Amino acid sequence: MSRLRYLVVYLSLVVALLLMILPLPLPDWVQIYRPNWVALVLLYWSMALPKRVGLWFAFFTGLVLDTSQGTLLGQHTLALVIIIFINMNFYHRIHVLAMAQQCIYVFVLLLINQLIVAWVEGIMGRTPPLLSFSGGPLIGMLFWPWVFVILRDIRRKAILK
Amino acid sequence: MKTLLQARGASLKALFLVVISITMMVVDHRFHHLEVVRTNISLALSPLRYLVSLPVTGGSWVGDWFTSHTDLLNENAALKAEGRILNARLQKLEILAEENERLRSLLGSARKIADDVIVAELLSVDQNPYRQLIEINKGSSDGVEIGHAVIDDFGVMGQVIHVNPQSATTILISDPEHAIPVQFVRSGTRSVAFGRGSTSQLELRYLPATADIKIEDELVTSGLGGRFPPDYPVARVTEINEDRVRGFVTVFAQPKARLDSSREVLVIKPRQ
Repeated sequence: MSRLRYLVVYLSLVVALLLMILPLPLPDWVQIYRPNWVALVLLYWSMALPKRVGLWFAFFTGLVLDTSQGTLLGQHTLALVIIIFINMNFYHRIHVLAMAQQCIYVFVLLLINQLIVAWVEGIMGRTPPLLSFSGGPLIGMLFWPWVFVILRDIRRKAILK
Repeated sequence: MKTLLQARGASLKALFLVVISITMMVVDHRFHHLEVVRTNISLALSPLRYLVSLPVTGGSWVGDWFTSHTDLLNENAALKAEGRILNARLQKLEILAEENERLRSLLGSARKIADDVIVAELLSVDQNPYRQLIEINKGSSDGVEIGHAVIDDFGVMGQVIHVNPQSATTILISDPEHAIPVQFVRSGTRSVAFGRGSTSQLELRYLPATADIKIEDELVTSGLGGRFPPDYPVARVTEINEDRVRGFVTVFAQPKARLDSSREVLVIKPRQ
């Protein structure tokens, strides 16, 4: 019965993935600003339920993300495992901070995530568009308060600890 | 002490997963053993892809529902008129095609005029800014195979690089890893057009400075390399950069296909 409640975690990740693969008829320069919703949602759950949403969770989420994004298997996996690992060491100190400070923390983690993905692309000889890769994390940071509030309400409704 | 051990355990686990990730990347880049994993996850994700394409399909359905009677009548009349004109043109085209075939047989070359096509729809667009990939809703069960060319009503879009039973991944001609053999219609010069990661520009490198190229020249597939069928429109020349020192010309061209907005595409099956 209690396992069933954790469905909301998976559902929220599915919704995040939907947001990422939704084809929007936007010009190229706007596409770059689309945030990594999956990383954002995963970060929330890793802060709220650190015992449930850990490294293995990040690993499998990364695999799904790699498949849906057409990147090398392991690329997003590596990035997500690393930022979730960082978060596991810091979340105690973070969730007492003010929202604005949390946003900066989230920005840094999303940027690390993006840097790792871009770094692997660079190794494979695809020149990443410089400067533009901080766009996604920036927009992701601006959405963090909403993601946080929405997921917190969902978590309270589902009584997840 | 216990927390210390726990912390060390987490670090070890993280390290282990990092090593696995890197190994997977290397294996995925060099070999094809991980295609199975990719295909299975992709299969599990296919309902999501359909869900994602729903708003657009649903939107057009609702739009159809609310179209007024007069609009429909007008549209019907316009379509009929267009149909008549197209029919007339088609007759002419058939005669020309026959003539072309006859001339070709006279010349002794056996080039096929028509190819088999599969109509497909766009399921999703890859968000990765370094790649230009799209997902279409026809797969191996519909006869789509790796290497098939994909076009829209304006020109060549790309080629299939991965097939699942119900969907296929297509690399666009604008992907930085993609190159397509082309030919200038006016002068017949052959070249290769490279993607640059932007849907509005292809690049033709190292053309001889003496080549006969002008702005607005049309590029079509040359059919060399055997991947793309010949004579499909690819791009139009927009910019010519001359490198006087090295004696080369770099040409930029805008793809004819609407790479970022086409929803209906055709997969071309080469006839055996």
